[in-house]
Amino acid sequence: MKAPRVKPINDSVKKNESASEAMIELRGVVKRFSNAAGEFTVLKGVDLTIDRGEFVSIVGKSGSGKSTLLNMVTGIDHPTDGHVVVNGSDIYTGVTESQRSKWRGKNLGIVFQFFQLLPMLTLLENVMLPMDYVDLYDFDERPARAMELLKLVGLEKFANKLPVLVSTGQQQLAAIARAMACDPPLLVADEPTGNLDSRSADTIIQLFEGFVAQGKTIVMVTHDPSLTSRTNRNIIISDGELINETISKSLPQLRHRHMLEFTKIAEEHIYLPHETIISRDQNIDYFFMIRKGEVDVVLEDKKKKESLVSRLQAGEFFGEMELLRGGKSIANVRAGDQPVEVLALPRADFIRVLDESPVTADAIRKIVQSRLEAHKVADQRSTMP
Amino acid sequence: MRPRWRKVLHDLIDNKARTLLVVLSIAVGVFSIGVISGAYQIISNDMSVSYAANHPANVELRMANYNTDVLTSIHNAQGIGEAEGRRVNNFRVRAQGSDQWVALDVVALESFSKNQVNLLAPVSGAVEAGKDEILLEKDALKKLNATVGENLTLELSDGTLKELKLVGIVQDVSTGAGDFLAPPFAYIVMKTLPTLRQPELFNRAYVTVAEGQDDIANIREVGTALKDRLDKNGTAVSRTRFSETHKHPLADTVNAILGILLALGILIVFLSSSLIANTLSALLSQHLRHIGVIKLVGGRNKQVFAMYLTLIMAFGVLALLIAVPLGGQGAYGLALFIANKLRFNLLGYRIVPMALMIQVAVGLLVPLVAGLAPVISGSRITVLRALSGDLAGDENKPQAGKPDRLPWFDYMLVRVTRILAMRGIHIPRPFIISLRNTFRRRGRLMLTLFTLTMGGAIFIAVFNVRVTLHDYIGAIGSYFRADVTVDFDKTYRLSEVQKFGLQVDGVERVEAWQFIGTELLYPDGAVADNLNMLAPPANSKLVNPIIVAGRWIRADDVRKFAVSEAILNFFPDLKPGDSMYLKIKGRTEVWEVIGIFKFVGREGILAYTPFEYSSQVLNLTNRSSSYRFVTTQHDRATQDLMAERLDHFFRGAGFKVRQAESGLASLDTASESLDTLVVFLLIMAILTAIVGAMGLTGTMGMNVLERTREIGIMRAIGADDRAVMRTVIAEGFVIGAMSFGLAIILSIPFTYLLSTIVSLAVFETPIDVVFTYMGYAIWFGLILVLSVVASILPARNAARLTIREVLAYE
Repeated sequence: MKAPRVKPINDSVKKNESASEAMIELRGVVKRFSNAAGEFTVLKGVDLTIDRGEFVSIVGKSGSGKSTLLNMVTGIDHPTDGHVVVNGSDIYTGVTESQRSKWRGKNLGIVFQFFQLLPMLTLLENVMLPMDYVDLYDFDERPARAMELLKLVGLEKFANKLPVLVSTGQQQLAAIARAMACDPPLLVADEPTGNLDSRSADTIIQLFEGFVAQGKTIVMVTHDPSLTSRTNRNIIISDGELINETISKSLPQLRHRHMLEFTKIAEEHIYLPHETIISRDQNIDYFFMIRKGEVDVVLEDKKKKESLVSRLQAGEFFGEMELLRGGKSIANVRAGDQPVEVLALPRADFIRVLDESPVTADAIRKIVQSRLEAHKVADQRSTMP
Repeated sequence: MRPRWRKVLHDLIDNKARTLLVVLSIAVGVFSIGVISGAYQIISNDMSVSYAANHPANVELRMANYNTDVLTSIHNAQGIGEAEGRRVNNFRVRAQGSDQWVALDVVALESFSKNQVNLLAPVSGAVEAGKDEILLEKDALKKLNATVGENLTLELSDGTLKELKLVGIVQDVSTGAGDFLAPPFAYIVMKTLPTLRQPELFNRAYVTVAEGQDDIANIREVGTALKDRLDKNGTAVSRTRFSETHKHPLADTVNAILGILLALGILIVFLSSSLIANTLSALLSQHLRHIGVIKLVGGRNKQVFAMYLTLIMAFGVLALLIAVPLGGQGAYGLALFIANKLRFNLLGYRIVPMALMIQVAVGLLVPLVAGLAPVISGSRITVLRALSGDLAGDENKPQAGKPDRLPWFDYMLVRVTRILAMRGIHIPRPFIISLRNTFRRRGRLMLTLFTLTMGGAIFIAVFNVRVTLHDYIGAIGSYFRADVTVDFDKTYRLSEVQKFGLQVDGVERVEAWQFIGTELLYPDGAVADNLNMLAPPANSKLVNPIIVAGRWIRADDVRKFAVSEAILNFFPDLKPGDSMYLKIKGRTEVWEVIGIFKFVGREGILAYTPFEYSSQVLNLTNRSSSYRFVTTQHDRATQDLMAERLDHFFRGAGFKVRQAESGLASLDTASESLDTLVVFLLIMAILTAIVGAMGLTGTMGMNVLERTREIGIMRAIGADDRAVMRTVIAEGFVIGAMSFGLAIILSIPFTYLLSTIVSLAVFETPIDVVFTYMGYAIWFGLILVLSVVASILPARNAARLTIREVLAYE
């Protein structure tokens, strides 16, 4: 595998401005663990790009590999194979654990589920600690900056208290202040609200949204669907592999294993602007999910005059009616004004998975129903004299 | 094997580093006590047995020349067992090809084969010397580089040289035993005396008593009666020495020193027990989860208790396997070292049952006692707490029922840092971590500090004791301020010696001193002890006494003397102004004590009277056989050179020189023997320091182990290897520095205690304590190095941990 072009780790802070659009790039990342029972692979060749300024959530079941994936990004663990480039630096090639620690202090802030404040230091001292480690900011400026961060999270009154004397929510807020101590471009959070009540969780997500608005990139592992809905992007990991985001967006009710199955068998098709994807009365053998671009569903009257039934966006699907009802296409489907990228699932696989996933089948049936109604109205309109 | 015992076995085997640490903690204490108790047993047994095996004389008489008839009468006297006559003369001897003269006491025996008292043990070569042959005592080889088969050159008093063939090396553990300052011995047969221009007459008698050989009162009685009889019969006895058959003359000193070593050994056991307590308590806290699981599946307190007790016993047994053989070897090694220094033999390597029992008891009981509290509390822990993951065991958590308040100590630490910060003094956070971490496990800190402080205090005290002893020896030197002492075989006029002596380059002044051999008597007339009375001119600057009571001698003193403190052993209530009965030249006289001064008690009772009066007593006006010379330079090398020059000059001028000795020579010998003692103490100090360092390593290792998660956090927020290591090492350093402060304080009483014990043992008098910065400086350097070294391994382990590992439990 060809390694991406990266800058040396020790210069990473200085060269931020010249770094590429991507904040995080994972290429073919494999992580294997061995124990007495044998070897098992936790990450199976993960490719992932997260751009600067994105607010990304990573979800997955227990043991799916989401924490391992996060550890790859933070430099906490090292991959068995593959490359991880964060903020323009290949953090595993020719870099010692010690150098990586220092790099981490400057380039990313980490927020843990269990806060991980050092118990022997006050909140203020905890926030100052990363600045001491990476020697950022003038020594005498550090207390003021730490206090500013504590003010930002509303903890200025508790600055001189030891962690044990404040609530768990306040501890997590202090941990966030600590994560931002060296003003890193990337914040990584592992279940940041997992141990908090909903009010504290909301405060924290609001803070995150504020950071994203300032241009920070945030990657967060979470189980909480109310949080994933507030992120720009939702990455699902299952059994050590990433699920195609188009599939997860198009068929969110599917079980992760089915999503993963689809990820593996889906074919990628690209259509030029206005190119026909499905013609009316054509036999359909695929279920389509739009990855990029727009798709127009069009009806033609007897005078060959076309009328637009609907315009489908990325994350929507088509072809389901024909597959479910076993008939031919009832409309023309073609690419919009821009090229379109779609994922196509073979009919047999689609039908089989729907049989195994009644929730998804129900959801799709509802969509079919509403589309049929819309189609009927459009059809009546097109056949009217 | 039942699963729970299998677990105990796994606990023992799986974490080898931890097992090793615990086992070594126990082993170091067991080893130390094994070495000391073993050496104590071996020395106290072998010293007397090997001494007795050589049939030591109970009474040694230094007499005027006498013949075999007198010897027969001695033999036939009442209460006498064996009696042997010898002639002892001092000669200067040199080895072949050497120009270095060595003063030897050449002992002439009537017959080697009939030797019954003060037996000679063969070392190499022949065991008997024939006519014109000589045997050397093995200690003489230290000064005389001679080999068996070569000829030794002896210088006679008239300056002629005679050669005797060295035919063998022997050991004589009896003659001169206990006298650090005695010259080495050589042995010839009486028939050789004419060759050395000496009469075939005896001047010493070595006598054993027929009964009560270990009853000093009986020996004194028989010896005094014998002496009186000889005096009456016209054979003057100048000096007597009494000793028991089974008691080496140095036994009291050695026992006192061994007593100190034993006390230190017990202290080491205490120190190592605190180390064990620390290690076991950490081990138990690591096992809390296991205990939780055991209880969860039905394990009872008793079963948990039995499991961990067995584990501790296993640690103890493993420690014994290491420490017992090593301790046995160490004990014999230490005993051998002491025996060689003090010139007695050991009966061979053996396992000392008492030492073995002590080791087994210490090896099993100390861990048991030290581990009992953690095992009991561990076995009583609730399942909930055991499984809660509260492993860091912080002692700075809020007290139960007071969740919003910190314990005062932690509050104070935070407060002090804050006050400093408000005044613009910001301590770097990583150092604050080290500082506050130090106090998180206060129980463990106390034990570690105790161990290190004791080690440090003993170490520092040993250096102070060393300087104190040397200072005292230096003070004793003020009794011997002459640069060279020249003793002649006959008396010469002072003016004559002055006339010649001042001709020698570098000689500034000459003083004539006299010597009166007297005996100190009890009021009933019985001899208490010999009293060596020196008579310098009253205004002599060559004596600078340490007066304890009364005053020094004056020129107009008549029948008055100043006496050393050793007299208090016989007359405890003696004070200046009291009268004493002395036997001088066969007459009993009453003398007044005018002053009491400090001196080395072991050297017997020393007294001073003015030369002005002694001349009358001895009837030797302005004459003497002993002269003190003051030279322009006072260092040892110049003194040696001047001694040689004066010897040569006076011999050349026809004077009958017996010997010329530099003033510092005997002091140096005394200092050397003191250094041997200091070495013992230093070994103990180093052992305690090692225990202390091990304690610190263990503590740091446990701290790091318990704070693994926190180290992971530090790494996660930017701490590189150096930062993590610095934090751990700084903590060790803080502990080391604290212990140093405490050791400074504790070293003061330790110095007084050790100095008193040692000075009483060696000098038989308490001496003024002197402090030196040396011990403090060395310990400060050592504790810094130890703290860093003790922390490096745990720090390296901490730095090596990957964050994933340390945060894995979540």
